[in-house]
Amino acid sequence: MRFKFIRYISLIFCLPGFVLAQEMALDFSAPMISRNEQIRLSDYRGKIVFLDFWASWCPPCLVSLPAYDKMYRELNSEEFVIIAINVDEDTDDGLDFLEDHPVSYLVLADPDGDVGIPYGIRKLPVSYLIDSQGRIIERYRNYKPGDEIALKQKIKDLLQ
Amino acid sequence: MTTKNLTLSLLLLSSLLLSPAEAATCSCAGAPLLSAIDSSSTEPGDLFINYTTEVHEISDLVEGTKDIRDESNRERSSISQVLSATYGIADRWSISGLLSYVEHSRSVGTSFLGEQNTSGLGDAVVLLRYTPSYITPFSRHAISLGVGVRLPVGKDDAGGLITQSEDMHPSVGAQGEILWSSYSYAFNQAATLQLNLSTNYTFNSEENDRNYSLGDEFNFSVGISQSIGTRFGYSAGLRYRTTNADERNGFDIPNSGGEWLDFVPAIQYGVTDDLTISLSGRIPITRDLEGALQFTTSYSYAFSMTYAL
Repeated sequence: MRFKFIRYISLIFCLPGFVLAQEMALDFSAPMISRNEQIRLSDYRGKIVFLDFWASWCPPCLVSLPAYDKMYRELNSEEFVIIAINVDEDTDDGLDFLEDHPVSYLVLADPDGDVGIPYGIRKLPVSYLIDSQGRIIERYRNYKPGDEIALKQKIKDLLQ
Repeated sequence: MTTKNLTLSLLLLSSLLLSPAEAATCSCAGAPLLSAIDSSSTEPGDLFINYTTEVHEISDLVEGTKDIRDESNRERSSISQVLSATYGIADRWSISGLLSYVEHSRSVGTSFLGEQNTSGLGDAVVLLRYTPSYITPFSRHAISLGVGVRLPVGKDDAGGLITQSEDMHPSVGAQGEILWSSYSYAFNQAATLQLNLSTNYTFNSEENDRNYSLGDEFNFSVGISQSIGTRFGYSAGLRYRTTNADERNGFDIPNSGGEWLDFVPAIQYGVTDDLTISLSGRIPITRDLEGALQFTTSYSYAFSMTYAL
């Protein structure tokens, strides 16, 4: 009885990680923030994708975006893409930020949560590392400066 | 010691030994059990550890809604330490558990014989919460519902030879069942300004070993919280609390139960991304207490630390 109880408790505590490990990235289509061109996630199947949700009012995002941009340029691989999803209610706020801090990767607009809600986004920033088969292999929250170093290494490993 | 002093001291001691337990029960909220539980958004796998210490001064003498001047130099206070943890067990589900350690002190008059101190492990609480709606970049509303239980794991036989009044025991000594709910509304997408409502009800139908049971308790809080920059935050709110009269052997204890309205201000500072400290207080605005006279909260203040793992 006692061991059964411990087993149940262990199962509950392992559940979040277990569910995440099995999860496929949900496909979506969203417009680019700067022009009305639709981008679909599944178009990048076969490549490693780093999906990053951000907003202009999210203080850590303002540091993470330039850091990810630097990482992206340093990796400089055709097999790796970053897709950033801006969730500002007013897309102009996101555009204003990008004017001051331009990035070299794709930025899509999702003001109504068409992408963010299915992904269960609660707090920003949240990012997903998706492998070439479309599986979520890592979820990142609460970005801290320097986090991109370990991320970059992980992407390099996946690229090999 | 003169004969007169000795006689007075013996009279005082015997009155302490023989006093009915409910005679000086204060109508105080006790350890801040439910308020110590972190109510922030919890995702699966999140773990929050919180430590709260509260100093609670309970020396106001009140008759109904009137403050009475206390001629007895009576002082009553308690210090509680509460350690709690909240864990996100699954999407929308979290569980919180807390343990308390409580020190009570009471003094009547100026003689050391009128001073009593008790301390020990207090009650524990386990609360299971379901959150159908969170504040997110796409939703301004958060709703959370919870059920829990207060477990009498602590010491409820403090005092030894001296018969202590019920409020002097660190633990209530009886189980209680808790219903809990909260609602928050974010005024902007970043959720830096929020309206927070919270209610909880504790059923105290079970008696302790001395056939004493606390009255059922209802709390309702409403307040505003605001984050300033990335580190600072403050909140200000009102807390309404009402309790039924305590009972012994099914009969109401006189001078127990009533209604309270307090002002509850708090400030917060994020020391790091994972560690937040806060300072809060509770200042009575008005109260309407049952019976002839009751000692009740003068003020309280609390310091708390929350660590996110």
